[in-house]
Amino acid sequence: MKRGDYFIVLGALIALPWLYLTYWSGSAPGTQALIVDGSGHELTLALTMDRQVEIAGPLGASVIEIHDGKARFVSSPCTGKLCIHAGWLSASGTVAACLPNRVSLTITGHHARWDSINF
Amino acid sequence: MSRGRVSLLLLAVTLAALLIACAPTEKEAYKRQFFSLGTLIEISLWDVDDERAAKAVRRVEEIVNDAHQRWHAWEPSEITALNTAIAEGQSLTLSPATIAALRRARELAAASGQLFNPAIGRLIALWGFHSDEPPHGPPPTQAAIDALLAQAPDMDALWIEGLHAGSNNPAVQLDLGAFAKGYTVDLAIAALRELGIENAIVNAGGDLRAIGSHGKRPWSIGIRQPADHSEGGILASIETHGDEAVFTSGDYERFFYFEGRRYHHILDPRDGFPARQVISVTAIGADGATADAAVTGLFVAGPDHWQEVAQRMGITQVMMIDTDMRIYMTAEMARRVHFEIAPPAGVFIAGESPRETR
Repeated sequence: MKRGDYFIVLGALIALPWLYLTYWSGSAPGTQALIVDGSGHELTLALTMDRQVEIAGPLGASVIEIHDGKARFVSSPCTGKLCIHAGWLSASGTVAACLPNRVSLTITGHHARWDSINF
Repeated sequence: MSRGRVSLLLLAVTLAALLIACAPTEKEAYKRQFFSLGTLIEISLWDVDDERAAKAVRRVEEIVNDAHQRWHAWEPSEITALNTAIAEGQSLTLSPATIAALRRARELAAASGQLFNPAIGRLIALWGFHSDEPPHGPPPTQAAIDALLAQAPDMDALWIEGLHAGSNNPAVQLDLGAFAKGYTVDLAIAALRELGIENAIVNAGGDLRAIGSHGKRPWSIGIRQPADHSEGGILASIETHGDEAVFTSGDYERFFYFEGRRYHHILDPRDGFPARQVISVTAIGADGATADAAVTGLFVAGPDHWQEVAQRMGITQVMMIDTDMRIYMTAEMARRVHFEIAPPAGVFIAGESPRETR
């Protein structure tokens, strides 16, 4: 083998870990935020575009923020604020919901590590 | 370029292409969510075309909404009507669906030694948990709790004859909150099977039953770290096989603070206060109703007595986390659970104690 051949083989070997991590690893970040309201309306937003959206519910508006590939509840007119305490979500398959105001936020996309979450 | 180099380049490119082509770029399960039964319901279906999937989700939605209306503990329902009748010393004619649910709840209450006690609705209301929003406190007085407990409401005092039900104990007030989700998930799974669907998960607010698989691999379930609602908070995972219900009861689901003290919604029917010592119990069972009732009974039983309750209820796969974050498991559960993070305190396997494994 000539020197150039070695470079090619070396290049392939270097590429392997990257390819493995990209295509085979378990939990990749999600790509979209799926927001469902109490009437069953669905809103899908790309996590690549920063923004804030207000989702109307029976108690008022829940505010969901998308920033830097993550999404979270910023505010919601409920008492418990569990939805806000859930913090930023980015991994595919993770869910936060404001039950009193009937608004859910789910991160979707390829390579969801878990099919369903038990709690 | 020499023929050798071209061959090598082709080999490298082919390997890379194979790696990408063979990667598990599996198609996604069909998923839909809706709100009912006071929680978020999520349906996951595998290998079902969109039209059949949409029909199946509509059917599940009908079933869950029907359960919500029939069995709600404080909004007008067959249960609240029966509670009113019992308080007035009357009986009531109920739907076959409600009679069947009550019979099942009564059996499970007996199996749990009444630690799962759906007849303590009045106690749950006394603590303020008959509301969609958490109570503000204060907690009820000891005298009020004692007065209720003195009347000893339990499911053995509920009589059922045909479609009639009643009780000679006017303190019996039904609240199916620790049972209805599991029982309804079972009804939903049965309906999906009637529609020819064999690979599905019905998740009702974190409690689920999974049938079949996600294609060539089993369904994978993440178990959230108790009291940690932040995103990284998956404690462990399991893969389901065939038909299994995975249920968790935790003290973080519904609670309130009063004067710096925290009170949660899982009440010990023996002393009338939120059960102490445990923060969550996860059980894998053959059906949702049993698993749902069991996690409540096990939670109340606590670290010292859960094994007896599990045995009586026929539950062999249990994981309990106490307030010091110690994890107790049956040996059968230990074989299933894959920890995603290091358990914060010790892990104790039943039958293998006092050995502690980390």
